[in-house]
Amino acid sequence: MNTKNNLFLPLTATWLALVALTLVSLGLGEWFRAANWLPLLVAAIIWLKGAMVARYFIESHRAHPFITRLLRVFIAIAPVALVLTAFFGDMLARWASL
Amino acid sequence: MVAAVLQAPPETPLAQARRIPGNKGIWAGITCEFVEFVVLFTVYFVARAHFPDAFHEGAQRLSLVSGTVITLLMVTSSYFIACSVNAMRYGRQRSSLGWLIAGLIIALGYPIAKFFEIRWNLAHDINGSSGIFFTVYYYLTFNHLVHATWGILGILWVLARMLFQGYSAEEHSGLEALASYWHATDIIWLVIFPLFYVLA
Repeated sequence: MNTKNNLFLPLTATWLALVALTLVSLGLGEWFRAANWLPLLVAAIIWLKGAMVARYFIESHRAHPFITRLLRVFIAIAPVALVLTAFFGDMLARWASL
Repeated sequence: MVAAVLQAPPETPLAQARRIPGNKGIWAGITCEFVEFVVLFTVYFVARAHFPDAFHEGAQRLSLVSGTVITLLMVTSSYFIACSVNAMRYGRQRSSLGWLIAGLIIALGYPIAKFFEIRWNLAHDINGSSGIFFTVYYYLTFNHLVHATWGILGILWVLARMLFQGYSAEEHSGLEALASYWHATDIIWLVIFPLFYVLA
């Protein structure tokens, strides 16, 4: 197999990291269910997994700036919202009430 | 509008060097997909802020095994399809075909796993009217399943083209477009999984 410019190894490393992060998040959910900081860590893992797929599978760093920004913004939305909901949930509920 | 944005002339040498993975059309579709799921995630977070206890208890009733299996299927099929693109870039068409078929087989595991998850849910009295958490869960996960089904149909189309030598090392934008869509759908599932199955 030609490995000179081949992305097989980085792709495989990314896949293994995604599987490992999935298993880690399962453990976190089981062991630290009541911990206040769990949403913070879960948000970080969501962002990290999304960023890895974007960078290594989609190659967002080599893509048109619009695509790079689109992925960057979308990947950040859920983690930010999760942290806001976890720590400012009452305020968010008040703002979102009719 | 998205096509207009993508057509805007690049302003810097860096922008000139950058490329569109696949084609403009698929990125218009992916942008629409992201907008749709941003709306659905907004519904999730507003509901979670209003009913934190329902979301805490609801997640404990879902099948963690199903969520984990679907996650592993999504990341693995995404990896196989990325390997298919990588092989095609170096002109290894048979290898690219093998990776794509492997990606398809793994991707087909998703609707099968979802079928067994729904059966498990119904056996445990979990349906769309079991509470706010489950309403949002069904709405979001079924929507994702619909998008994944389009992706699977896309894989079949690309596979058919590949069987008739439709792609080469020089021109394989269709394969890259399919891969981009599937990776985007993977990213969305990687958000859904912890929101419903991990944060119990």
